[in-house]
Amino acid sequence: MRTRQPLNFTTIIMSQEELFSALSNAVVGMDEGTTRQLSEQAVAQGVDAYTAIEQGLVDGMNRAGKLFETEDYFIPELLLCSDAMYLGLDILRPHIKRAENTQRPKIVIGVIEGDTHDIGKNLVKIMLEASGFELIDLGRDIPPQRFLDEAIKADAQVIALSTLMTTTMDGMAEVVRLLQAAQIRERFKVIVGGGPISQSFADRIGADGYAGTAPAAVKLVKNLLGVAA
Amino acid sequence: MNAIERFTAYAKGQPIDRLPCVPIVGNTAARVVGLKIAAFHGNGKAIADAQIAAYRRFDYDVIRIFTDLYTQAEAMGAKVHYPDDETAYLAAPAIASVEDIARLRPADPYRDGNLPHHLEAMERAFQSVGHEVPVNGALTGPFTTASFLVGAETLARLMLKNHAAVHQLCEIAFESARIYAEAILKTSCVPSLTDAMCSSTVISPAQFREFGAPYLKRLVDVIHTHGKTVTLHICGKTHPIWEAMADTGADCLSLDNAADLHAAKIKVGHRVRLMGNVPPSEVMLQGTPAQVRAAVRDCVRKAHDNPKGLVVASGCSLPVETPFANIDAMLGAVREIGWPVDPSAIASD
Repeated sequence: MRTRQPLNFTTIIMSQEELFSALSNAVVGMDEGTTRQLSEQAVAQGVDAYTAIEQGLVDGMNRAGKLFETEDYFIPELLLCSDAMYLGLDILRPHIKRAENTQRPKIVIGVIEGDTHDIGKNLVKIMLEASGFELIDLGRDIPPQRFLDEAIKADAQVIALSTLMTTTMDGMAEVVRLLQAAQIRERFKVIVGGGPISQSFADRIGADGYAGTAPAAVKLVKNLLGVAA
Repeated sequence: MNAIERFTAYAKGQPIDRLPCVPIVGNTAARVVGLKIAAFHGNGKAIADAQIAAYRRFDYDVIRIFTDLYTQAEAMGAKVHYPDDETAYLAAPAIASVEDIARLRPADPYRDGNLPHHLEAMERAFQSVGHEVPVNGALTGPFTTASFLVGAETLARLMLKNHAAVHQLCEIAFESARIYAEAILKTSCVPSLTDAMCSSTVISPAQFREFGAPYLKRLVDVIHTHGKTVTLHICGKTHPIWEAMADTGADCLSLDNAADLHAAKIKVGHRVRLMGNVPPSEVMLQGTPAQVRAAVRDCVRKAHDNPKGLVVASGCSLPVETPFANIDAMLGAVREIGWPVDPSAIASD
């Protein structure tokens, strides 16, 4: 990690709008160096960190998501944009005023037991985080019961399940069955996704929704929670 | 007509009894002989016996010796986990970072990992039924193997940051695949190529042209040198790369259900045979025989007149627990349509 650059004559002082737009461009441009420099500059200039995240980093990531939807960006590009976004988040988050930091709805996410493919899950996580949700990432190869335990513990609103393998699809149904058996099905929205998953499969196992892509997962969660898009 | 007679006549434009049909049976073969999937691990005879039994049970047109995509990466050092009764999965890549690429060596197909057992399975299957049905040996494409060697996310990042490292990985994966392909050809079987990570669901068409296609082309060339034809399968979305896939020289493109056979026919049907694309999960695993029949008729309607021909197939390897009734329904639907194709089958249902 480089130490923070002090403001000096070589640093161009930007207006807030210019800074946010440059941050957004750096993220969508997969430019970690510029993202770091601009994030540090935002801190040094005393710009509101929350706004810099929302209108800079997150805006850039959302633009990357749109480019992914239009097939201008693919998984490698999206990963590098997210690397830049997370780097900026690490710098800016400690400067967020506490009150702004407590409102985010929580989502427990993971790949079902028996499957270790997690690129799809990671993309969904990235896009949901960029959209203001707090993600509790359980990782991959997760037994159904753990999704419940963690969702209860975190007081999450959504459980997001991913799999790429048809052999592990039943694990998704098992999560729904366990929630029903524990009589807490209504407490959580359950969403499913991954290669072999379809809307009809989601309907059949009684999940609340299915999304075919990471940007679609964001829209789905916002719809289910009634959060403005 | 047996499968070889059917393919031979079809290629010459002579009469056939029905279109060729390939439900891509992988580990489902274990269910036919009542074995657990773990029984295939390190046991070429078990793989061959199960694949032969599955072929006899369903009477389809290609046997493919395949258990999972990781066989070559494992033989080069990747760690693969073998659950008791499910398809194997990648536990850890062969190397942790770019610095370790130089440590990688091409696999010795007669010594490393499970390659010797797969070769044994090919040899046994060919000896037993190779005179009546083509026996293919699954060959994972260099780009996909590279992703298992270094990890998919690491490879994705390298593609944008370090082209040379990606080419280095693909080159060693290619060399390993080339040696394995020669060994497969020695068993009298034909390698069939799968390059899952080249999907446009994962990487861009430009990335495919740079990192996927050149290595596939070289493998196709090797196989063509032996006078054999090659099928190339890429999963997921492929419409932006159909032409680049055909440019590899592959004779047949096996397309996932995310692809539209009608559009593929128009774009590349004069250059390549098409194979596909009944949805493996939604229809073959979860659907009814009636839905399988409808999906088969849909494929035939879209591509029966493909200039280079059509093989009715599942879009990808069948899920292990695919009901036998649905596999029977697939073959049944193709027989019902017959040849020349029954006009009522290609009218809208």
